[in-house]
Amino acid sequence: MGKYLLRRILQMIPVVLGTTLLVYALVFALPGDPVKAMFGDKPINAAVAAQIRAEYNLDKPFIIQYLLFLKNALTLNFGNTFSGQPVIDEIGQAFPVTIKLALMAFVFEAIFGVIFGIISGLKKGKWYDSVILIVSLLLISVPTFVTGFLAQYFIGVKWRLLPVTAGSDPGFLDLLMPAMVLGSVSMAYIIRLTRSEVSSNIAEDYVRTARAKGMSNGSVIMRHVLRNSLIPVVTYLGQDLGALMSGAMISETIFNVHGIGFLTYQSILKGESNMVVSIVTLLTLIFVVCNLAVDMLYAALDPRIRYA
Amino acid sequence: MSDTTKDTTMADSRVLPGQERYVAAPDAVKLQEVDSVDESAPATSMWADAWRTLRKNPLFIVSAILILCVIFVALFPGVFTRQNPNFCQLEHSLEKGSPGHPFGYDTQGCDVFTRTVYGTRTSLSVGILTTLLVMVVGSLIGALAGFFGGWIDAVLSRFTDIFMAIPMLLGAIVVLQMFRTSGSVWKIVLVLTLFGWTQTARISRGAVMETKNLEFNTASTALGSTPWRNLMRHILPNSMASIIVVTTTSLGTYIVSEATLSFLGIGLPTTTVSWGGDISNAQTILRTDPSVLFYPSAALAITVLAFIMMGDAVKDALDPKSRTA
Repeated sequence: MGKYLLRRILQMIPVVLGTTLLVYALVFALPGDPVKAMFGDKPINAAVAAQIRAEYNLDKPFIIQYLLFLKNALTLNFGNTFSGQPVIDEIGQAFPVTIKLALMAFVFEAIFGVIFGIISGLKKGKWYDSVILIVSLLLISVPTFVTGFLAQYFIGVKWRLLPVTAGSDPGFLDLLMPAMVLGSVSMAYIIRLTRSEVSSNIAEDYVRTARAKGMSNGSVIMRHVLRNSLIPVVTYLGQDLGALMSGAMISETIFNVHGIGFLTYQSILKGESNMVVSIVTLLTLIFVVCNLAVDMLYAALDPRIRYA
Repeated sequence: MSDTTKDTTMADSRVLPGQERYVAAPDAVKLQEVDSVDESAPATSMWADAWRTLRKNPLFIVSAILILCVIFVALFPGVFTRQNPNFCQLEHSLEKGSPGHPFGYDTQGCDVFTRTVYGTRTSLSVGILTTLLVMVVGSLIGALAGFFGGWIDAVLSRFTDIFMAIPMLLGAIVVLQMFRTSGSVWKIVLVLTLFGWTQTARISRGAVMETKNLEFNTASTALGSTPWRNLMRHILPNSMASIIVVTTTSLGTYIVSEATLSFLGIGLPTTTVSWGGDISNAQTILRTDPSVLFYPSAALAITVLAFIMMGDAVKDALDPKSRTA
């Protein structure tokens, strides 16, 4: 296990380097001019533009720019925003909010996704199976921002069950609705995945053997069906934790949650390329680390998978 | 002649003298008939087989009808409405539905029905074009990696990993913020392809590696076929099933992504009529008039739903192992 982990981490290095290079290249080397974007509709002041170019090393060759960015990033120095605040401070403020939101969404989708998936998979063809299936299909086909608007309109405005927006220092209740909206699509995928796994595993020979041995229905399902069905679900959940962080943008924008997604969106609107690169680099790193953790977990859960 | 008659009578007596159980006489079961193949009948390929399964699947029939309808609306929007989607009169702002304008008007006084009809083409072309491009790019890169192996595989796989590490929406936002005001549907298609091809590449790599070692490929090599011809004629067609399944299902995701990007204001320019853009415009008046938001959202949801159901049906048909009883 230790050796496998080490090799996977070593393999991760070129991927992380490549990904950060790609993100950096996309923002700073594409035909669009980030400095021009900074000025927006205002006329460009040549002296200021030159100063900005020098500050972000944009006057140097591209690969040097990237290496300097990397060097600074390693010391968590991501430069300043237009208003002069260090980028890392703004990220540091927004990050805990997004982590809280993503974790709540994660718990929500894991609990409800698995429970509904199991109910549906065990009793295939019953009316509640059809209801669960239709609802999960609807959640997948309606975009998150529409789900968000609807939830906001009905739960927040009409029925007044939960706060409509979250604001800058959100508590548990403030984040509940954004988290449910954020987790809803993944929950639907988890329902579908769990359902198909449970219903195919229940027809396996080892389940019939267990029943033939006289095992009770409950322990057949707990010990044999669920244990085998949940492995792919756990994998999906792990990968999703990283994806939730970056998917939070929509939910955070709708519900005015001042987290990473909100910050990214605002930075894009304001044309703060530096902030965008820094956030995307961080989120990508989180995504890669989550995927590595999933692979480890997968190997630990399923003895059939060798550490090859 | 007499010998044959004798054998037959013995066989008819079921148990031969001296034997404890029944053994059929050589001609009692006509082996040749059982084993024979009607060679005049056309060969059933995997695709013909899948088509037979699909035809009977209600999920497929419903989704196919829906998709055909959506395609028809996208091709001939003029059949459904005579109005110009960009013809808006502020005096009609937020008016309720009336004959000829069943869905009412939005804030700008544009006819919601007309805009929903014309938005179909945008969403559908983004979905279909992205799917096709992803299929070509992804399956080619994956197939090359899986087929040649060695350093080619190592390089291409790491390349895939790098793109895979960037979540699609995030990557698309980074690229699109540069080209916010300009561009057409192709802008979105290219960006979604750039971050969407990786999954197809992985699946195609796996499928090709699996197919590569099958006997028909060895046979074809033995007959003198070149590796390239093997890849194109034998391996890729046989790996196509899993590639098609994954791409059909993601078609809906691309449509949703386009809508999301337009919602964030960095997708299509506001001059292009699209469901995502209209939904985004409707959000400001959600509390006063939710119906303006409802129609484009419903159109979007129905289209995506149809493609997801189609994906499920195709998956069931092409992969009998996953078929659910």
